[in-house]
Amino acid sequence: MKTLVVYAHPVDDSFNSAVRDTVVRTLIEGNHDVRLRDLYAENFDPFLSASERALHHTPPSTRPELGRDVEDLRWCEALVFVYPTWWSGLPAMLKGWIDRTWMNEVAWVLPAGANTIRPRLTNIRRLVAVTTHGSSKIVNALQGEPGKRTITRSIRVMCNRWCRARWIALYGLDKSTAESRAKHLHRVGQRVARALR
Amino acid sequence: MLAVLGHPSADSFCAAVFNSVVRELEKSHEVTAVRLAEENFRPTMSAVERRAYETSTPLVEDATRRHADALRTAEALVFVYPTWWSGLPAQLKGWLERVFVVGVAFRFNNRGKIRPNLQNVRHIIGVSTYGSPWRYVKLVNDNGRRTLTRAIRTSTGMRARTMWCGLYALDTCTLEQRQNFIAETTEKISRRLGRKSS
Repeated sequence: MKTLVVYAHPVDDSFNSAVRDTVVRTLIEGNHDVRLRDLYAENFDPFLSASERALHHTPPSTRPELGRDVEDLRWCEALVFVYPTWWSGLPAMLKGWIDRTWMNEVAWVLPAGANTIRPRLTNIRRLVAVTTHGSSKIVNALQGEPGKRTITRSIRVMCNRWCRARWIALYGLDKSTAESRAKHLHRVGQRVARALR
Repeated sequence: MLAVLGHPSADSFCAAVFNSVVRELEKSHEVTAVRLAEENFRPTMSAVERRAYETSTPLVEDATRRHADALRTAEALVFVYPTWWSGLPAQLKGWLERVFVVGVAFRFNNRGKIRPNLQNVRHIIGVSTYGSPWRYVKLVNDNGRRTLTRAIRTSTGMRARTMWCGLYALDTCTLEQRQNFIAETTEKISRRLGRKSS
């Protein structure tokens, strides 16, 4: 499968970077076609400015600086996010990537005369989030898992009707041990391979 | 009171709501109004900040230090923002990440457990505009609201009262509905936070 991996963590030697390496290795071993986007390394600007916001209903050609992102989104059949969950949701870097790149005529379209938007990323058949939570599963459940729902509901709506979403998370990272983290990496490999079957 | 605007444009509807609320609150309270876009607030937590996050001196920039000071003394937090992809705009999410750090939002007790540190905050108030209708917002979980009224609320020791004012299906709202929303929201918030008796 053509797979786009979008990774967001500021620190090079973070546990999330190890997760990213495991994901990419697994995908290559599975003979998937992989593109990796490292938002921090690329210095991506996640701020959707007022002038860009004014282009909300215009075609992507008005934002040539996001051409590569548009191309990647239209190309992929599977989209894999690798990121740390902060304050129950996506890091600003990743949220801003979605704010800016999931644009008109790419992620959605408003047909003339219609009053609801239609999905446009029907090429995406798999959505996978691989994330870490500092807090425990119960705490996240009580908070309503905003990050998880953003991916499995809010943005999945713009993908293929049969798009499957998979959630691969390590809870309680703050209390984890080297052993439990290694075990998680192993599990990430297995579950990513299964998710893209 | 600490009020934060998360919309990039100064002439947006969100900004109009924000200005109205701030103006009304200023009559009875001391208000710090933060307009993130106007300040050019950087949304991303940098590598330096992420490393400092694990230390006892996590605030490394003047901007975040200034906001943290306002947060430490605030009795109410008021957020005004547009909901995008069911959540907070990146700039507002980044503000939480960079300002709600150890020694500000939480602390560690002597057994190394995380403890809330914003007991001064008694109210969390959110005002948001949604492109989608109410029912759809509920279906996708209203993630921005959850982040503020649940995740952020844990930092107050679960003491803060929360209040939410949403304007749904913004694109189909009439001018009158919008103006009513500004008036009602301003009234509701100032009533909740109390007025000085004149």
